[in-house]
Amino acid sequence: MEDLLEQSALVQWRIDGELHELEVVPGASLLDVLREQVGKTGTHMGCRTGHCGACTVMIDGAVAKSCIAMAATLPRATITTIEGLTAADGTMHPIQQAFWDAAGLQCGFCAPGILLSTAELLQTNPAPNDAEIDAALAGTLCRCTGYQSIRRAVGEACVRMYPDAAGE
Amino acid sequence: MSLYPSYARPRSLQQAVDLLSGLQGGVVVIAGGQEILPSVNYGVLMPDVYVDIGGIEELIGISSVGDELVMGALTVHRDIQGHADVQRLAPLLAQSVSAMGGGWQVHNRGTIGGNIVAMHPLYDIAPSLLALQADIELIDAAGTRRLSFADLLADSSHGLGTKAILTRVFVTASPQSSWGYYKLKNTSGAYGSANAAAVLETEGEILTAIRVVIGAAADQLTLVSDALAGLTGAAYDAAAGAEIERICAQAIGTPLSDHQGDGTWRRAMAGVVARRAVEAALLPATGPDS
Repeated sequence: MEDLLEQSALVQWRIDGELHELEVVPGASLLDVLREQVGKTGTHMGCRTGHCGACTVMIDGAVAKSCIAMAATLPRATITTIEGLTAADGTMHPIQQAFWDAAGLQCGFCAPGILLSTAELLQTNPAPNDAEIDAALAGTLCRCTGYQSIRRAVGEACVRMYPDAAGE
Repeated sequence: MSLYPSYARPRSLQQAVDLLSGLQGGVVVIAGGQEILPSVNYGVLMPDVYVDIGGIEELIGISSVGDELVMGALTVHRDIQGHADVQRLAPLLAQSVSAMGGGWQVHNRGTIGGNIVAMHPLYDIAPSLLALQADIELIDAAGTRRLSFADLLADSSHGLGTKAILTRVFVTASPQSSWGYYKLKNTSGAYGSANAAAVLETEGEILTAIRVVIGAAADQLTLVSDALAGLTGAAYDAAAGAEIERICAQAIGTPLSDHQGDGTWRRAMAGVVARRAVEAALLPATGPDS
């Protein structure tokens, strides 16, 4: 049975649409591999404890904190980083544009957590109330403490993504 | 301790058990990694071997057999929160899993099995599992065995050591009982400073049974049942609430004293959350934010 033991693991990830095959070290976090082996530095390192949410990515469409996901445990996965929200031609995602226009973020360090959590929320809920927004964003800390403007920007993103649902 | 750990991803439960039984110390069983990676990142935990059980399909999923809810150990919190069988058979569990910290990011990756074996005193699921008299199932080289969650808690090695794997969690519904969960916390993503799960039985207005489990106030869960027996046989009122607060605060042996709050306050809050959990159980369902 010991022949199952490996000194590294091979992973196949589709990262922001592009296929990568990578050799990762046991114990390395998804965050470290994304930043150091793939160069996706939009994914931020805030705490390495899973508290702050600045390292958030989507794994198979669901938000996750990449600092506490061990890379080797994801042999095959589709990963969306904050950089993957933007279209290939540089056009911002409606959520990004809404946050830009509504000044939803201040320093922007928490943007990966706030924007990707908003994206997961709006996939299934076109018109969330404040409590639903708060629950969806609870895993990300904004150290500028700009939570009111974040809520406003999420509302603006709803209007842009679902013009028919807003205002009901 | 090794700077160069090795890694294995067994394909089946039996393969994982065989592997664990042949390995010596320094082994860490990992799946979602939400408990383990923070310690690895800071060098607090330096495993020699990671055994990744995340690929073992038979450990994932929720089903029900009659009134019994069966949850695979690798079922993630997000799947438990909204599952129809959990809502129907163990809504207390659904609510306490929803009250967990870490946000959707952690709820999407963390597993019920990982939460249980972590045995962290501030976590949310354990009080409800003890209040609901849940059972768990383990497997090791000697075979599969089922034991009560209470017995698992009483075993300082969590009944697991590094040779066994937690496989399933069982909760049997009790249709005549009502339930409440109350968590006192500083921010929406945070750990509780005290939390309580209450399971009650009533006949009309009259309390006939009461069972409260308090978490996050001491380094172990505190089950308060017999000491509350004097409250049965009567309807709940403000005086009964005050009595619950007094008895439950007193039941905390040595309170935790940490950045979540000092010991004197934690003991007092243990009583408060116990009363509020009982009151939540007695009120008609008011939704997940109650």
